[in-house]
Amino acid sequence: MGSSKDAAAATTIGYFTTVESERTGWTGGLLVLNGAGRPLEFQCTLPIRPSRAHEILFGTTLRHHLISEVIGPTLLQKCRTPISLLCCGQAEAVSLQENLPPSAATLPGNSAVRSTVVAIIQRDDDKRSRELDGHCRIALGNANLHVAMECLEDAEIAIAGLNDIIDTFEPFERITEAIREAQSQMARAA
Amino acid sequence: MWFRSKPEPTNGQSPAAPTIPVGTLPPEQATAPQAPTGTRPTLTCEIDEMLSWSIFPGDTVSLEGTEDSADVDTFHFGGFEVQTRSLALSPLQTTRVPIKLPKLRAATNGFLFPEAASWIPKTQTATTASVAGRIGSDDSGENQSAKKRTRKIGKHARIKPPNDIVKLQDRLYYLLQPPLDLLVGSGQLNFPFEPFPYQLDGIAFLFPRYACVLADEMGLGKTMQAISTMRMLLCSGELRNILLVCPKPLVSNWLREFGVWAPEIPVMAIEGNAAKREFQWRATNAPVKVANYELLMRDKEIVLESGLHFDLVALDEAQRIKNSNNTTSEIVRAIPRTRSWALTGTPVENSPDDLVGIFDFLSPGYLTAGMTLPQMARAAGDYILRRTKDMVLEDMPPKLFRDADIDLTPEQWARYEAAESDGIIHLEELEESLTIQHVFELVLRLKQICNFDPVTGSSAKLQRLEADMEEVAASGHKAILFSQWTKTIEKMRPTLERFGVLEYHGKIPHKKRETVIDQFKHDPDKRIILMSYGAGSVGLNLQFCRYVFLFDRWWNPAIEDQAINRAHRIGAAGSVTVTRMMAAGTIEQRIAAVLDQKREMFETLFAAQGEPASTQDRAPTPASNSPLTRTGGLTRDEIFGLFDLRAPGGKKVA
Repeated sequence: MGSSKDAAAATTIGYFTTVESERTGWTGGLLVLNGAGRPLEFQCTLPIRPSRAHEILFGTTLRHHLISEVIGPTLLQKCRTPISLLCCGQAEAVSLQENLPPSAATLPGNSAVRSTVVAIIQRDDDKRSRELDGHCRIALGNANLHVAMECLEDAEIAIAGLNDIIDTFEPFERITEAIREAQSQMARAA
Repeated sequence: MWFRSKPEPTNGQSPAAPTIPVGTLPPEQATAPQAPTGTRPTLTCEIDEMLSWSIFPGDTVSLEGTEDSADVDTFHFGGFEVQTRSLALSPLQTTRVPIKLPKLRAATNGFLFPEAASWIPKTQTATTASVAGRIGSDDSGENQSAKKRTRKIGKHARIKPPNDIVKLQDRLYYLLQPPLDLLVGSGQLNFPFEPFPYQLDGIAFLFPRYACVLADEMGLGKTMQAISTMRMLLCSGELRNILLVCPKPLVSNWLREFGVWAPEIPVMAIEGNAAKREFQWRATNAPVKVANYELLMRDKEIVLESGLHFDLVALDEAQRIKNSNNTTSEIVRAIPRTRSWALTGTPVENSPDDLVGIFDFLSPGYLTAGMTLPQMARAAGDYILRRTKDMVLEDMPPKLFRDADIDLTPEQWARYEAAESDGIIHLEELEESLTIQHVFELVLRLKQICNFDPVTGSSAKLQRLEADMEEVAASGHKAILFSQWTKTIEKMRPTLERFGVLEYHGKIPHKKRETVIDQFKHDPDKRIILMSYGAGSVGLNLQFCRYVFLFDRWWNPAIEDQAINRAHRIGAAGSVTVTRMMAAGTIEQRIAAVLDQKREMFETLFAAQGEPASTQDRAPTPASNSPLTRTGGLTRDEIFGLFDLRAPGGKKVA
């Protein structure tokens, strides 16, 4: 049994994804786990609904803007647990590495890695997976992670502390379920 | 712009006046003037309904005097005089319409989970994949069956918060835990034997619940699920003090199972004299205390009035408290506690109201007697987990029933007929003073004769059993025999001695019972164990036995099922053959017929718990107060009906 302080000193893995719904809009969720897969922190946004003007003016870049410039940085900013490795389920989060808030850009001195490493996650058997410019692949559980080349060393250090991860994708299901739970509570309260 | 014909005057006169722009006329007049006869058509060009005008040859349209007359230019073309002019247009003015694009902002809601406690102490020992519920090393077929139990991809054993947890943070705490199946064998969650997926589901069900019933069918591993969940809750610090209450014969079984599934958890059985028990009740060195129901009565004051508090009180064989009015129920309900679990394979024995008694322990007043079945099912749904072998074990070996209708020996038959006719005459003579007890005594007497002739000792059943045991022993298998009476067991012992017979019943001291079970498990010469329903029907794992003999029938089908499931349970080595011995043409067959009807009715009733179907009409009436129906499956009227008697003050039952 350990406290959150102890756990924070060890390797942590974050999972970030967004859920898009016609009815409610965009909702982001960030789940931070310890190396054993147990939850340390969960942050989610209230639904964001871009206006028609946003849709027209951002065009096809709206997803990218929302994921990597609005929702992602906001959740990371709010998160109090240092994250060693941040797995993102959507490729649009690729530029999140450059948009890290100061707290994530420099992790505490007792952390094994220097800053949060952002990784785009893809199934290791996904034939449609494509290479991302300036990124290289690294394996974790049943997934391939695309991490920026300059972060590769930190990513390897972080992954070394995550031996118990078997199904790398499963935590996304937890986020989706938690967002659904939160939204249903809000709907009941409304 | 369009053209139309226009009559041209042939007399050389010009029209008096230029035509009026079409647009200035009403629509009906805006058509071209009718051409007089003898004129030849000319073309009129109309440019726009608002701005058009018609100029005919010879027409003079003066542009003088207009603002831009200086720019008028004239030329002739094809008999027309064409005037053109330049119009000076003012430059286009742009108007800015600002569209505000507010910056998208995300409001957040966050939860920090203060403790990420491990569920089990870390160990370096590798898990052994084998059959859950089986103790000790076993045959080589284990690995194969373990492979078959792989969980379907995408279906995880997730901990889901029960409906009575409402705070979002608390609900998310459970929702965000990793699925148990992913942790098994990862170092985060180790078991001595690989659990079945449905057992992980059971653990996920128990883990977050403060009040619940685990009502799995006998043999599915309720003990393992309860112990493993207690272990996780203890290791994660959510529980510190557990009281487990079970029937007295099962105490040693629980201790043994704790040793297997939670070896690092200190467990203390409450036993011994009063002073020792008081010390044990107050001891803090063992987080789990195991007590039996009978003992609770004696230690009532210590348990209820000495300031003890338990984080969890779990009741095994919780059907014992289905009657809310008995003393055991009252004591159990009064134990100071935070969580309440009930474990039972038969949550409903006689009537749906049995559940009310159990819920009076879990959540008093939540269910009430007289609720309709759909109401009860809806209310209790979130609190009960019930699985049957058919539902969860696709590879469970079959259970084969063989009803052995045995003709009594001539001595037995003569004795039986005399006893029955005399008995009925006696009962009829009693008239209004006839009680259920009188009938009950006759039933027992006749059943005993069906087992053994009391004078000569001859027994058709024993002869049949001996023949069957020859086959069982020759094939290298083992058998369990159940009887209602220890005297019957003692009588058959000499005949079965050559099969290495063992006994396990109320007359065997508790301290020796463990040894008997061990001997039966490990000594290849011990082929048969003779058990009483009372002592042997619950809590024992004898799944290596392939044969079960019911020498006589118990009153309640649920008790018989529990007895049979000592052998037919998880890890059963193969099909289990159950031989139900019944003397042909006797009271035994009449009882069996009633019990079969009853079994069918209960199965229908329990299956209807999750359905809104109007099955409540078929629900049996609550148990009467007769001694039989408190413990068995026959009602008062059914007992009288066995002899075609009329119950005093009641109607005659066919």
